Amino acid sequence: MKLRIDFYTSLLFYSILGFLLIPFLILFLWAFSKNWPWPDLLPHSLSTRGWESIADIKFIKVLLHSIFLSITVTFLVLVISIPAAKALAFYNFRGRNVLQMLILAPIVIPPMAVTMGIHINFIKLGLTDTFWGVVLVHLIPTIPYAVRILAHVFEAVGWNIEEQARVLGAKNWQIFLYITLPLITPGLFSAGVLCFIISFSQYILTFMIGGGRVMTITMELFPYVASGDRTIASVYSLIFILTTLTFAFLVDRFTRENYEKGNHFYL
Amino acid sequence: MERVSAGFKPYIMLAPVMAVLLGLFVGGIVTCLLQSLGYFPVIGLREITFKYYREVLTNPEFLRSLSFSLYISMVSSVIAVVLGVFVAHRISRYLQGQTLVKLLYKLPIVVPHTVAALMIFMLFSRSGIISRAIYQLGLISYQEQFPEMVFDSKGIGIIIAYIWKEIPFVAIMVYTILRNINESFRDVAYNLGASEGQFFYYVLLPISMPAIISSFIIIFAFSFGAFEVPYLLGPTYPRTLPVMAYTYYISPDLTRRPYTMVIAVFLTIISIGLILVYSRILKIFQIYSR
Repeated sequence: MKLRIDFYTSLLFYSILGFLLIPFLILFLWAFSKNWPWPDLLPHSLSTRGWESIADIKFIKVLLHSIFLSITVTFLVLVISIPAAKALAFYNFRGRNVLQMLILAPIVIPPMAVTMGIHINFIKLGLTDTFWGVVLVHLIPTIPYAVRILAHVFEAVGWNIEEQARVLGAKNWQIFLYITLPLITPGLFSAGVLCFIISFSQYILTFMIGGGRVMTITMELFPYVASGDRTIASVYSLIFILTTLTFAFLVDRFTRENYEKGNHFYL
Repeated sequence: MERVSAGFKPYIMLAPVMAVLLGLFVGGIVTCLLQSLGYFPVIGLREITFKYYREVLTNPEFLRSLSFSLYISMVSSVIAVVLGVFVAHRISRYLQGQTLVKLLYKLPIVVPHTVAALMIFMLFSRSGIISRAIYQLGLISYQEQFPEMVFDSKGIGIIIAYIWKEIPFVAIMVYTILRNINESFRDVAYNLGASEGQFFYYVLLPISMPAIISSFIIIFAFSFGAFEVPYLLGPTYPRTLPVMAYTYYISPDLTRRPYTMVIAVFLTIISIGLILVYSRILKIFQIYSR
């Protein structure tokens, strides 16, 4: 009896893992297939059509532009989130809970609902169809994650070391540059990776505010998925996943020493 | 941690983030609200009225979309939470291997919903891999015998895509709690004669309840308000609320605009309601676990 239950739970567990992982294999196969009619389980013939379509200067431009846009967003969101996170971690003040709720609200409130209002406001300000309009609107979904992760980091680090520096006569900028910044660097990088990925993945915000003029990789990918061109869509998807993984890997590598001291598990 | 008071300082530190959130986010909501109440000077509407709310609330298409959205979020979130908790429990119990955990952690965040939708399409559509496998097994003899699971009016494809995205998210949220539960709890429970099932039900489940509830609310709200997956995998009728709002919004007929905004306001209100329910439940649990 017990053995049978064990068998069924194991079966369920590995089916779930299969369900989560098999799609990647199919993505990979489609990216290289030329002719793969129903009901065959493997492609008839392979081709590099999908890969040729990205070895194109236009595609590379879009990819680089997309990376540049998301890095700009990441940089800006970290800059404004550091003081905010510090305030939430260290200070008690009137309205703290309300402000905290407001910061977390974009996680739960649908972007669709808010973006239409923002779009109308941006038309008046002339920010639609512009790079900076898209950057600004990408701050919204990234702020909650950046502030939350950094607030955890500040809580973990405490402010004793900063106090020591102050007692020893360090100026504010010296404290920030030599004490605070090095202490929060690992958290800064994990927040940065997450913000980069969130910005990189946005479709509807970019589409509505950018009006199809500000091109990102997700914007290129979406029509191919919608039209069902599986080969090209698979190639674009793989490029997308590879880019985010490379970015995460590089940052991980860069901060490896810091990571080994404490295992950060933020989300 | 002890937090101190410091006059205006924290407000100044929060100012940049608040400027963005109030200017863009709250500003967007306010514009939405004004237009939904019929304040739309560009086309000569200046009178505040609840007319559009009344009309939308009695519109069967809206009500169908609302129930379709709620149904999709409910079904996908419940299944994802149950399976996610199961996976988390299984990993924390039998697999201490970090590779799998790290893989699970990265999976949901590096794959955007657009790609998830593509994968589910390639797997579950009538010309997808599963339909092919079933043909090869001799269970069906032509494509149309395979049930319509993508673009179908029951939203099965949308639900599967959300489950795919959300199982790892729930699993990670719950795993971080389970990982930190002292192993001696298990010894104590087993010593007192508890079975594995009882230990799970009376010890692990209550401890991880706050994480389970948070992840449920987050994925419910997300799937309720997201656009990509239902747009790519959903049927033309019924549409989810975000898809309906979008198609109304891009319509060139500006007199339809207030109706669009009413839908957006409903999306916002339901999500805020969810946060309130959520903080309420968490409070109950905090009292309970004291």
